[in-house]
Amino acid sequence: MNEGAARRAAAVAPSVAPSAFGHWWRHLDKSAWVWLLAIAVLLFLVVNPLLRLLLVSFQQPDTGAFTLANYAAAYSRSRYVDALANSLILGVSAASLCLVFGLPLAWALSRTDMPGKGLVWVSILGTFIIPPYLGAVGWILLAGPNAGWLNRLVVELTGMEKGPFNIYSMTGLVLVTACYSFPYVFVFTKSALDLVSSEMEDAANILGSGNLRTTLSITLPLVLPAILAAFILVFLEAIALFGSPALLALPGRFHVVTTQLWQFFEYPPKVSVAAAYSMPLLCITIFLFWLQRRITHRKGYVSLTGKGGERRPIPLGGWKWPMLGYCLFVCTLSFFMPMVVICQAALAKAWGRGFSLDNLTLDNLYFTAFENNLTRNATLNTFLYAGSAAVIAVALALCVAYIVNRQLVGKHVGNLLSFLTMAPFVIPGIVLAIGFYAAYTQPPLVLYGSAWILILAFATRFLPIAYANCNAAIRSINPELEDAVRILGGTRFTAIRRVVAPLLKRSLAGAFILVFIPGTRELSAAIFLTSINTQVLSVLLFDKSDEGNFEMLASIGLILVVITVVLILIGFRLMGRDFMLRRTAA
Amino acid sequence: MSHNTIRCFLALLGAALTIAAAPVRSQMPAWEKELYEAAKKEKQFTVYSAHYNTETMANLCTAFDKKYPGVKCNFVRTTAQVAFQRFQQDLQANLAVASVFSSTDVGHFPDLKKRGVLLAYRPNNLSNMVDALKQYNDKDNFYWVTSAGLVVITYNNTLVSEKDAPKKWTDLLDPKWKGKVSIGHPAFSGYVGTWVVMMRKLYGWDYFEKLEKNQPQIGRSINDTVTMLNAKERWVAAGPDAGTLLSRDKGNPLSVSYPTDGALLMVSPTGIPKNAPAPNAGKLFVEFLLDKEAAEIQIKDRSQVVMKGIKPLPGAKAMDEIKTIRPTEDEITKGIPEVKEQFRDTFGV
Repeated sequence: MNEGAARRAAAVAPSVAPSAFGHWWRHLDKSAWVWLLAIAVLLFLVVNPLLRLLLVSFQQPDTGAFTLANYAAAYSRSRYVDALANSLILGVSAASLCLVFGLPLAWALSRTDMPGKGLVWVSILGTFIIPPYLGAVGWILLAGPNAGWLNRLVVELTGMEKGPFNIYSMTGLVLVTACYSFPYVFVFTKSALDLVSSEMEDAANILGSGNLRTTLSITLPLVLPAILAAFILVFLEAIALFGSPALLALPGRFHVVTTQLWQFFEYPPKVSVAAAYSMPLLCITIFLFWLQRRITHRKGYVSLTGKGGERRPIPLGGWKWPMLGYCLFVCTLSFFMPMVVICQAALAKAWGRGFSLDNLTLDNLYFTAFENNLTRNATLNTFLYAGSAAVIAVALALCVAYIVNRQLVGKHVGNLLSFLTMAPFVIPGIVLAIGFYAAYTQPPLVLYGSAWILILAFATRFLPIAYANCNAAIRSINPELEDAVRILGGTRFTAIRRVVAPLLKRSLAGAFILVFIPGTRELSAAIFLTSINTQVLSVLLFDKSDEGNFEMLASIGLILVVITVVLILIGFRLMGRDFMLRRTAA
Repeated sequence: MSHNTIRCFLALLGAALTIAAAPVRSQMPAWEKELYEAAKKEKQFTVYSAHYNTETMANLCTAFDKKYPGVKCNFVRTTAQVAFQRFQQDLQANLAVASVFSSTDVGHFPDLKKRGVLLAYRPNNLSNMVDALKQYNDKDNFYWVTSAGLVVITYNNTLVSEKDAPKKWTDLLDPKWKGKVSIGHPAFSGYVGTWVVMMRKLYGWDYFEKLEKNQPQIGRSINDTVTMLNAKERWVAAGPDAGTLLSRDKGNPLSVSYPTDGALLMVSPTGIPKNAPAPNAGKLFVEFLLDKEAAEIQIKDRSQVVMKGIKPLPGAKAMDEIKTIRPTEDEITKGIPEVKEQFRDTFGV
């Protein structure tokens, strides 16, 4: 390869005209155009709606004059501020619980010889696909204080007067939120762990440390950037969630930011107050980034050096059964139990009648999947849009992550890019949708009514997820690998195409899934941007929940889960799920 | 086939269609024929609607297309606030998209009327309308009631017998329903907001102070009560007639009780935007909504029918069989923001 490159270089050199322009052109890094393009796209997708939001928050709704009245309206009342405090509690607790759920599972699946990995993996995937509000309804039926199945079970078994569980509480909300967000932590951590070689652990083992200590002091710290990124994501997801709080917090008699925000959109809509009210979320994001930078500052997290690196599963011995037990416990909470409820409703003529043979029917499913044009088209659209959005988001995120980590632009520009890529996550979906609607329904760019406005909105909304994942992945790759390519005469693109991309194959697939799945269930922007021919399932699901039509709600949810799981399993089969990344650089 | 043959074939096809459509058209009164011809030139139109669910909206559009071939009905069905926000954005951007605007929030219409963005029109089919509803049409012909619903007392009939079911709104305050009542939230649902205004008008805020002693469960939308009753989490509710009866039609153990002190009437108007790209098609659609075909589609959806002489499905009562109550437009517009605050003081959310 070395010889080949040298020969090629020798062959190319004399053929170039020795003019000044030619000289400049020859030495110009052509990849710069791609970076510029990525930055332009970022401006288009993020800065434009974001800037509008900021502007609106300082504007008088009618005249557009500068005012601080919106901020006064948003923060003058203690009840609005209380909601903010509740959201912070929810965010921190749910994100912490996500770590408790996600980290052990990621470690077990990535690095140990635990049995039943496939089952656990599929359940986590299924968990991730269940729209959170469907899961929340499932949990209401499981742990409703009066008639929840779990409560009734406890009453039957112990003869207590009332069951102990109450889903209508902060604890309940934290549990449900964590159940449907922990897959982020799982996927992030697992894809980072998949890249750590056993040699580092071997070193610790040789020096006399046990498996537990090695894991805690060597393995986990190595994947700290991924864990932190995931923590931030689930924190932001938890505070941006609307469906579950609306179902659980209101009966629990408390508000969070999103339920409060919703009220600003009731007639007469106060978009500018809503914009002002969402600004602290933006500030919190900035703070979290600063914190992340502080923690991971100047430490090395390179685990993929290209110099050997065998990955062997750690034998758990007798511990493998308790480990599996814990994994199944988490999956039972998040997937199996709610799925039983969802299946019962989807297969029931009338779910209020409970289990009985004459109440069973396949009509709901048949109707949803085959008879109803609306749901059929919406199903196709959903997967098409989510897929396209995922491709766009991952490509853009990879570019930005690469630019920032390889310092192709200045440090400040890099920080700014990094922030911009993460910012869309905290903008409440409905506010982002309004920004989009305002920005792209008038010339020069009329996207309204087309599928593109949805695809771009989904891509923008979940860009942070793709970015956090790509960023953590790129940080784990030693730049020497690319340097080697460049020293041998390859361009930066060759380095990316032949070295970086193949190494990141699994991480990129992970990022794709992480955007694809939320894309299939995205509601708040979709509800605003869909039109006649661009219906998606999440909006139909919301309709059904709004109608109290739980049989159809569950049917659509079930179909969504089954199709997505099958699609992803096929995808993994095609790209080689068992690709073990052994000595990849050799 | 040469071009001529194709042209010939098309001409024949056109003639055949004209003949086939002729009997229908000959039954049309002159005004309808005129409107239809004008609408045909506009070819298609878009409805922004918060009425009905998506399937019913689709069925209505399909039925319209069938009745008036050559005029294509498109729709965007969303919640009321989203429909309003979209319409608002269209106006700001000088976009003409919607030719029909239907919202469940009555507050939207006086505002749009005042801003002069609605088109005045007097539908010929207004005479078909149930008399009790006519008073809610705009007197200057800018909007008309095209859909209606009720807030009634609902209950799970495996837990509560018909005999024991609450008969009037004040029965919900009985201590025997402690921990068993389900209601929605006025800040999230126009139905609940109007219901709270009405109860305050009838019984004073005291009603809610007492209701709080029964620890009602507060959901978001009024339809959340359907889920709560089906789950047996709660026994009785202030719920919607349509959503509850639809769920009952499937076999769920739900019943409605029309309160003797009055079922709350909810009316949902429709208007035609002044900038409508297809004003004639819009008018034709409004006429269609006030006609028999539309009524027959809506009846299956358990909506209260706005047209006279159509019997509801079993289990429901027609509007002229029951006592209905409704605050005035002014009371609703002023009252809802007030009760949202009061509600929060009393219930904490």
